[in-house]
Amino acid sequence: MNAHATNARTTAPLLDAESRDWLRALRAGEPGREEAVARLHALLLRAARFEVARRRPGLPHLRGGELDDIALEAADDALVSVLRRLDTFRGLSRFTTWAYKFALLEAAVKLRKRAWQGRELPLEPESWALFAADGLAPEAEAEQRELLGAIQAAIAEVLTPYQRRVLVALALNGVPIDVLAERTGTTRGALYKALHDARRKLRRHLAERGFPLDDTEEAS
Amino acid sequence: MDRPDRKQALGRLLGPAAPEIGCDECFDELDRYVELELAGRDADAAIPGLRAHLEGCPACREEHESLRALVGGDQVL
Repeated sequence: MNAHATNARTTAPLLDAESRDWLRALRAGEPGREEAVARLHALLLRAARFEVARRRPGLPHLRGGELDDIALEAADDALVSVLRRLDTFRGLSRFTTWAYKFALLEAAVKLRKRAWQGRELPLEPESWALFAADGLAPEAEAEQRELLGAIQAAIAEVLTPYQRRVLVALALNGVPIDVLAERTGTTRGALYKALHDARRKLRRHLAERGFPLDDTEEAS
Repeated sequence: MDRPDRKQALGRLLGPAAPEIGCDECFDELDRYVELELAGRDADAAIPGLRAHLEGCPACREEHESLRALVGGDQVL
């Protein structure tokens, strides 16, 4: 209780008027709370529909009605999350920006899971072809083959079995992290920690063997 | 396979070289980060490690792109 009071005092000066109004209206026992919750739900539904629309081209097998249902379900779940975490809002952004991210997360996670529904997760390396380097000069091609061999050996020898499974599924085979989290009964955060540790090990192993690693770029 | 694809595959496998925060911290800071970006402020200096995380985590990167597009669109209206 005291922590919340302190938090409210320290964040209050940072809050813009609109965010302050949202917080006041959403507090339990306030008159008009029901109407504020309905407005919040409408805001979250708008964000969830925005996310669904962005991803729709990649989901041709889903019908409009199904997508509407996913958006509504995402908004419902986001509403619960936002109301439960209201006291954690620090006022470092506008309230609406803070609330939006819950709806976008819920919609994105549901759509990733739906896209992989009924599909078996590929846990063995499938995508080494991407590392092949057609059109390189023979010397560069030999270097590339050597790097690929070192990576494959490092994955087999340096990583723990769990790190190997996580790295191969997420970073090589493109399994969405939320899908792997759901199937393995863990969280996105825990999986990313395992992925991060595996990547560090690989980088260290390759650097120790003299492979230059600045020739990488952001994955799309 | 052309060179950019191979570089991307290597980047996806090895992740960012720079220190990064985790998914939970990224979610906690994402709204602030996006508003700083849209305001033209130095979001990376304010929240170190978040940009590197977006490079390494496709899911968080997609959610960052969506929040930025949604809030950016609101500001235009």
